[in-house]
Amino acid sequence: MKEIEDFLTGRIWLKEFTPFPKNEIDEAIAQGLIACIPGISEKQECSRCLEKSAHLISFYCEKCEGDCLYCRHCLKMGRISSCTELITWAAPSPRPLKTRSFQWSGRLTPSQNLASQQVIESIQNNRSHLIYAVCGAGKTEVLFAPIYEALKKGDRICIAAPRTDVVLELSPRIRAVFPEAVVHTLYGGSRDEPGFAEIVIATTHQLYRFQNAFDLMVVDEADAFPYSMDPALKRAVMKAKKPEAPVVYVSATPSARLLKETPGRSEIFRRYHGQPLPVPRFDSLWNYNKQLKKKTIPKKLETWVRLRISRQEPFLLFFPTIDLIDQNIPLFKELDVGIEAVHSKDPNRKEKVMALRQGKIPGLLTSTILERGITIPKVQVAVIGAEEEIFDAAALIQISGRTGRAADFPTGDIVFFHNGITREMDRAKKTIIAYNRKTIS
Amino acid sequence: MQASWRSLFMNDLNEAVCTKCKAEFESITGNACLYCGALEDGVCRDCLYWEQTEYAGLITKGQCLYRYNAAMQTYFHQYKFLQDVILSEVFAKEVQHALAKVEAVIVPIPMNPKKLKERTFAQVDAMLESARLPYKHLLTKNEDVQGKKTKTERMASTPLFQWNGEAVPKKVILVDDLYTTGTTMRHAAKVLKAAGAEEIELFCLIRG
Ligand SMILES: [Zn+2]
Ligand SMILES: [Zn+2]
Ligand SMILES: [Zn+2]
Ligand SMILES: [Zn+2]
Repeated sequence: MKEIEDFLTGRIWLKEFTPFPKNEIDEAIAQGLIACIPGISEKQECSRCLEKSAHLISFYCEKCEGDCLYCRHCLKMGRISSCTELITWAAPSPRPLKTRSFQWSGRLTPSQNLASQQVIESIQNNRSHLIYAVCGAGKTEVLFAPIYEALKKGDRICIAAPRTDVVLELSPRIRAVFPEAVVHTLYGGSRDEPGFAEIVIATTHQLYRFQNAFDLMVVDEADAFPYSMDPALKRAVMKAKKPEAPVVYVSATPSARLLKETPGRSEIFRRYHGQPLPVPRFDSLWNYNKQLKKKTIPKKLETWVRLRISRQEPFLLFFPTIDLIDQNIPLFKELDVGIEAVHSKDPNRKEKVMALRQGKIPGLLTSTILERGITIPKVQVAVIGAEEEIFDAAALIQISGRTGRAADFPTGDIVFFHNGITREMDRAKKTIIAYNRKTIS
Repeated sequence: MQASWRSLFMNDLNEAVCTKCKAEFESITGNACLYCGALEDGVCRDCLYWEQTEYAGLITKGQCLYRYNAAMQTYFHQYKFLQDVILSEVFAKEVQHALAKVEAVIVPIPMNPKKLKERTFAQVDAMLESARLPYKHLLTKNEDVQGKKTKTERMASTPLFQWNGEAVPKKVILVDDLYTTGTTMRHAAKVLKAAGAEEIELFCLIRG
């Protein structure tokens, strides 16, 4: 029963799909230890993802022998319908406090330290907080002390991020710093881990499966797709935490709304190594589309790529569409056969990024999927078609933030190749310059 | 009700099956197996086998609309196993076009009643209803043992269906979603033939 309690505490799970034998679940229900929740609530809302009736589909159901509603929004986690039940542990028993150590030998910069203290203070006051910190500021380290404080109190903590890549990068770092804490890492296709997780590191999608679970909620990359665009994911974050629990948002490019609505705030406009952010430069690449269609790489771009290859500097070429990447990868392979391409649907993405980091391949053509979460020492970056709509100021700032992250190589070329300068390009550049100025003052 | 349901659905459908996905479905055109629509000239290997068994001569001809490529596997998984009922609409037009003019009575391959309760919907019936085609059930399915057996065991195993006792017309067309080895169709055809059907065709959305 202990195993079931550990698993179901704070979770809301399809009754038919638990990892436990059916008779044990039924017995716990009979004893009142597990509560059952109808899949579709009386308010005609999906109990797991809180999707409203307008997006629920009605059909004649052979199980209900009548009209039944099912939710398409969270379908891939197992279908929720009027005739399915969700279960949760009804009355979790109190958990004894355990000593938890904190193993980190690094040192915070003064601005990281200040932010860290401010976050702790906000949490003490149950107030939500935004860590507004430039790319490469060392945001994760800022979270260590607040998480440690929460752990000592016996709080349950969730660190959520919109993308699996970010979750996978966070997980080993958190586990290393809190070696005795039970940490679970959840994303689409992850395996169940044993025990009661004091720290859950999860994609925002996985939070559909939690309810009233966390005393502290951290949302990393709070401006990233799909979280930023999907109200259901925002609801999932709010549903997964306890009602009074504060949320700590972390972002390098927060939306105006997030800035306005979050009461607590810390700003870090200085990178952890103290060097300014590389400022993007603009370079025209008139009618690059026409030239690419004729199977020639525009001269300026070719020169830029050749220079990187001859200097053995790893590079990223950001393209606006997957189609453009697919069409042009053969052209770039003529410059160097080692050049590869990645996009969101590429199963080998991780391996290719690793190969670039290890110097096994010279460069990558990529969609905006690599705008966040990756650090490659010495990397040089070019955006092709920076005027395209997909490259808004936030995306361009994130992309620029890939350069100069390592303390040994704090600079790097970041060029926006364009077919006309947009307001978003201007905004990105001006914002980065402003960050660097605040650093000086 | 019907109209608003449909228009709501079209919005939802655009998400589920965008035009790019739809372009990836591969329809079967040109030379195909006379009996089952496999992409082989004349008669395919599976059907050649069947025509040497006690099931020979049961089926006069047949057609399958699509190949079971990656896009179709994704679709089929979401429709049948994730129970995304609304996806019955995706091929409504194509199924309508293929079956609207046939004279034969459409007979869907049924599900076992217990299985049907679990699945909550009959995916073949739903596909036909979305295509606005009338159909008649003439068979009942015995408990499922298929998954546990090998292909050859399955081809020879005990009857999968029983006649439900309703009047059997002379011409019938058996309809299923996915055709793999042909066992289902041959077993169904045999039962219908014994119950009085004279001409039996088959139709499947997908040829595995
Ligand atoms: Zn839902
Ligand atoms: Zn139902
Ligand atoms: Zn699609
Ligand atoms: Zn055949």
